[in-house]
Amino acid sequence: MSEVLLALENVVAGYGRAAPVLRGLTVTVRAGEVVCLVGPNGAGKSTALKVASGLLTARSGRVLLSGKDVAGLSPQRLLGRGLAHVLQGHSVFREMTVAENVRLGGYTVRDQAVLNARIEAVKELFPVVAERWGSVAGLLSGGQQKQVEFARALMLEPAVVLLDEPSMGLDPRNTQIVFDQIDLMRGAGVAVLLVEQNARRALEMADVGCVLDLGRVHISGPARELAADPRLGRLYLGGVPSDRTAGDAARPRPPGPAF
Amino acid sequence: MSLLLQGLALGVLTGGLYALLSSGLSLYFGVMRVVMVAHPAFLFLAAYLTYTVHTVFGADPFLALPVTVPLFFLLGVAVQRLLVARLAPENVPMMSVLLTFGLALTIEGLLGTFYTGSYKSVSMEYATRSLTVAGVHLPYDKIIAFAVAALTLGVLFAVLVKSRFGQALRATIQHREAARLVGVPTERVAGYGFGVGLATAAVGGTVLALITPFFPASHWVWIGKLMAIIVVGGLGSVAGAALAAVLLGVVEGVVLVTVDATWATMMFYVFLFLTLLARPQGFFGGRLAHRF
Repeated sequence: MSEVLLALENVVAGYGRAAPVLRGLTVTVRAGEVVCLVGPNGAGKSTALKVASGLLTARSGRVLLSGKDVAGLSPQRLLGRGLAHVLQGHSVFREMTVAENVRLGGYTVRDQAVLNARIEAVKELFPVVAERWGSVAGLLSGGQQKQVEFARALMLEPAVVLLDEPSMGLDPRNTQIVFDQIDLMRGAGVAVLLVEQNARRALEMADVGCVLDLGRVHISGPARELAADPRLGRLYLGGVPSDRTAGDAARPRPPGPAF
Repeated sequence: MSLLLQGLALGVLTGGLYALLSSGLSLYFGVMRVVMVAHPAFLFLAAYLTYTVHTVFGADPFLALPVTVPLFFLLGVAVQRLLVARLAPENVPMMSVLLTFGLALTIEGLLGTFYTGSYKSVSMEYATRSLTVAGVHLPYDKIIAFAVAALTLGVLFAVLVKSRFGQALRATIQHREAARLVGVPTERVAGYGFGVGLATAAVGGTVLALITPFFPASHWVWIGKLMAIIVVGGLGSVAGAALAAVLLGVVEGVVLVTVDATWATMMFYVFLFLTLLARPQGFFGGRLAHRF
């Protein structure tokens, strides 16, 4: 079994003084593996990614990157240790060109020759980036913007990439392109922790699936087996999985999308 | 016709100055969502420092710049780090108005204490003459103001577009969280952005000292005008504010020579209200307006 690159262990985290969103979350991601987090709205999927990338500090628990505890480190420090995060929605620098966006992905690289070599590598990986190199990023289609974000995230050759709902707002064709790109990342040996609302589609391509609800993993296992698990449908449709406590069940939960 | 041309020419020159005076306000809002009511107070603080350099050392007012520009940059970094960064993030636009209003009052009080409440001015012989081109009189002080503003804004745009810091600053303005995730130290960059904004006030203050008499409360006259410019231009857009500044400068100049001074000043507020009614995000940018 390949090496564990990223592990969240019993993580408790939340925003401000509000009740925690993550309540003892444990997830592991191995090299060259796509792990998909699915679950209803408010389950804590995006929060888990923010804790992993240092945008949010965990209240307790451990975040291990290549075996070292990195909880509390800034995103800049984690970037240097091989972890990249692509945010939900569109996060290109809209009024900058594609070239400026991609170059900013290598903001911490001072060696111009290294920077240029990496630019060429991501241009090869994402042909649309090369084609629209001089265009203003905010004027690209949603799918193209997402590929620019991927290219920007891969500029530092990360070992782990966190992807937060990359297919959000995309048409089926662009969704397919995005999933193909994720497959390419996996092929290149990158570990991917993926959050996706399009659960069935994501579980079909992922290696491992984790179903989150109320800040914990309720079901996990091989992604394809999970896609066929009837408990998943019940959870998405508002049912209560058998392992949830009465207290959990009493907590209001925003309605999730139909699975 | 010649009167109209005169108004137009003066309007363009004054508009250039307005562009410089409002550029800092756009930066503060772009980087930090801060509505910096104290910007004009800092402009006049710079004007008073210029006055001191001129009267004490007998030096040309522009020789104050090597001192005031770095000083104001450091002041800007300090204001951002020690005051603005401590505001709760969700309340920054509103609380920054109160905070910087307090700063403006403090600066006004200090200026009144050190310089008294009487008018001061910096008079240079070269600034009192004028140039006549095709029957249009162009006062040298306005030409100098325009040239300094154009040069400063040129440097500012070059820094924003070409330098590594400028790229980081623009990234921070456009998507702060994404900027953090590519390794931009957004807090430090925001501090420097604030510093750059206040450094433009140092230059603007020196120019103001040359073209207009001033007293400690002069800044209140300017805050309305400058706010109108950045709203018309689009909050957070330095280029938008520059275009709006020239537009409003021209409108003011033309109305000044064809109607009267009261209506000329009113035009800023007429444009402000029309913008808020027709296009609240501003005419030349203003992607950030919805966050206000």
